Amino acid sequence: MATEVKLPRLGQGMEAGTIVRWLKSEGDSVAKGEPLYELDTDKVTQEVEADADGVLLAIVVPEGEVDVGTTVAVIGAEGEAISPPIVDETAREEVQEIAAPVEQVEEAPSETPVSSLHVPEGRVKASPLARRIARERGVDLAVVTGTGPEGRVIAEDVEKAAAAAPAVSPRAAPAAPPEEVEVVELTSVRRTIARRLTEAWEAPVFQLTVVANASQLVATREKLVELVREGDVKPTVSDVLTRLVAAALMRHRAVNAQFVEDRVHRYPTANVGIAVATAQGLMVPVIRAVDRMSVQAIAAARADLVSRARDGKLQYAELEGGTFTISNLGMYGIDQFVAVLNPPQVAILAVGAIEDRPLAVDGELVIAPALTMTLTCDHRAIDGSEGAEFLATVKALVEAPALAL
Amino acid sequence: MPEVTYREAVRDALARALRKDESVFLMGEDIAEMGGSMAVTQGLLEEFGPARVRNTPISEMAIVGSAIGAAIQGMRPIVEIMYEDFLTLSMEQLVNQAAKHRTMSGGQVKVPLTIRTQGGAGWSPGAQHAQQLEAWFVHVPGLKVVFASTPEDVRGLLWSSIYDDNPVVFFEHRTLYPVKGEVPEELEPIPLGKARIHREGEDVTVVATGRLVHEALKAADEAESEGISVEVVDPRTLLPLDEETIVGSVRKTTRCVTAHEAVTRGGFGAELAAVIQHGAFDWLDAPIERVGAKFAPLPFAPGMEQHVVPHAEDVLEAIKRTVARSG
Repeated sequence: MATEVKLPRLGQGMEAGTIVRWLKSEGDSVAKGEPLYELDTDKVTQEVEADADGVLLAIVVPEGEVDVGTTVAVIGAEGEAISPPIVDETAREEVQEIAAPVEQVEEAPSETPVSSLHVPEGRVKASPLARRIARERGVDLAVVTGTGPEGRVIAEDVEKAAAAAPAVSPRAAPAAPPEEVEVVELTSVRRTIARRLTEAWEAPVFQLTVVANASQLVATREKLVELVREGDVKPTVSDVLTRLVAAALMRHRAVNAQFVEDRVHRYPTANVGIAVATAQGLMVPVIRAVDRMSVQAIAAARADLVSRARDGKLQYAELEGGTFTISNLGMYGIDQFVAVLNPPQVAILAVGAIEDRPLAVDGELVIAPALTMTLTCDHRAIDGSEGAEFLATVKALVEAPALAL
Repeated sequence: MPEVTYREAVRDALARALRKDESVFLMGEDIAEMGGSMAVTQGLLEEFGPARVRNTPISEMAIVGSAIGAAIQGMRPIVEIMYEDFLTLSMEQLVNQAAKHRTMSGGQVKVPLTIRTQGGAGWSPGAQHAQQLEAWFVHVPGLKVVFASTPEDVRGLLWSSIYDDNPVVFFEHRTLYPVKGEVPEELEPIPLGKARIHREGEDVTVVATGRLVHEALKAADEAESEGISVEVVDPRTLLPLDEETIVGSVRKTTRCVTAHEAVTRGGFGAELAAVIQHGAFDWLDAPIERVGAKFAPLPFAPGMEQHVVPHAEDVLEAIKRTVARSG
């Protein structure tokens, strides 16, 4: 019995993926667990493993974007016919009716299934002309209501849709750019960044800023570095800060939350996303339950995630489930900045560089390493006072890390 | 312009060629004294004599075979096969010999042979005297295939076929013989491989051959009264095919119906559909519809015959399917 290989849902919120290439060809034998194809999702590109042993009988979707649950291939026994449920019954040619007296000469309708595969679920039915117009005018066929037979999208439907939303398309009427302009197509990751951050921009947000004396933070980190054993990752100031923020999140659960469909989900553990710049674009892998980890463990987890993020080897699941995000541009010498929310999270902390600054300490003017942090909050979930209390705790912990115990 | 019947137009082309050119002669069953079973060659024996209007024995293989020999020797024979059903008896000569000599000889041998034949339903000829077999010949490289639908076309195309240096299978339709139409005073040759747009339209192109050209024109009138603008194109020459005109028309209208009297399955409409989908893929707004006879030997009983072969209403229904909306 052949097994249909369906596009897996690798994580919550994943609706579709793009098949980049197949690592096996039709006719190859495959073992369960062997990498079968490369899948580009809106978060990562990863290899998807075969979930059955056998021979790759058919590749239904050689490449391109498909919805979760779509049959993309069929695995079965060598020489096995693809079983009837996979076969498109409607592909059988209709045998034209003729009157009874000549019935016996009617060609017997073929009982053998035509070996054509189902139209993948979720594929938009559209005429070739409608597809061309949609391509030229940047209309997403998936959102066009088809008025042709069986709901097929026809040219008129696309023209109406294009007329209704002339400016929506990023590809609409691109003026021919002068030769020196480099036109960069958005990657799947880049498109996701664009879409999610645009969504985030719609949230009503407010920002709060504190300047903390980072002397103790720096000193704590130096002590931890001294204790690092041979071969272990050296903790950074960021790793220490991640641990302190997690402690603060546990004390202010309103901030350790996600805003989902008009509900706020508050989480019992601090799953902190770390914004990482990669060649493909911004990635935010998540370190889970940071509130229960040592700084050393955080450093190891962070080093692993960052290096794999830069190599494009993250798994989809590692980008999911964050309850808070830290974005640190300190290494670029940025004093202060405002980060955009990372939905559905309700807050994000923008961390600047630690710089020596004049600070008032116990009534004395001293030069000390100072750290500016700006918290962006989703006002739908958090009030100003809640955000302020959280940020005050973060500042207190930065100035006295031992209080995080 | 004088108005003549399709039959008279064929006869006119034959007579003019016989007059013009000593190398032209006619061969066929009962074409001399009797004037042919469809009366097309009536009067030609009287004018041109038995050497040039030749009755033959009832052997299509012998008729075509000897005509091939004559053509190779420099004559321009015009063969009449009484019913196209009987072309099947001459297939070896036509397909294996006539179609091959020119290329197999590296161009040294030409076969300027015209085979006129006729067929078609509508008068209860039964299963063996009314088939439409044009698609068989379109499949053979080395042949040319013509199917004319009007008096003007049949005369101009027959002339070009006679003077083509390749074997041409020239189809006439039985029910079109009495159809009248204007023809130019002087015979104007119509080049092979050139389609005719009978009627311009905006919404659907019907590519029709033979009798179905007339049915398509009727259907187009009816469709127009319902607000659908139909273009009707007759390829006239099936091989070589005027792909440019046909594909151009479908690119304009974005929808297409093919229509012929031959059975739909494996019919010339299938070839048209393939050519059109390739040439106009990004312009197609609906699946190409095919109209043809139901897949059955033609019944003798008039009611049954009527049921099996397509008519204007079948073309109209197909037109409507191409512009249909759901629900």
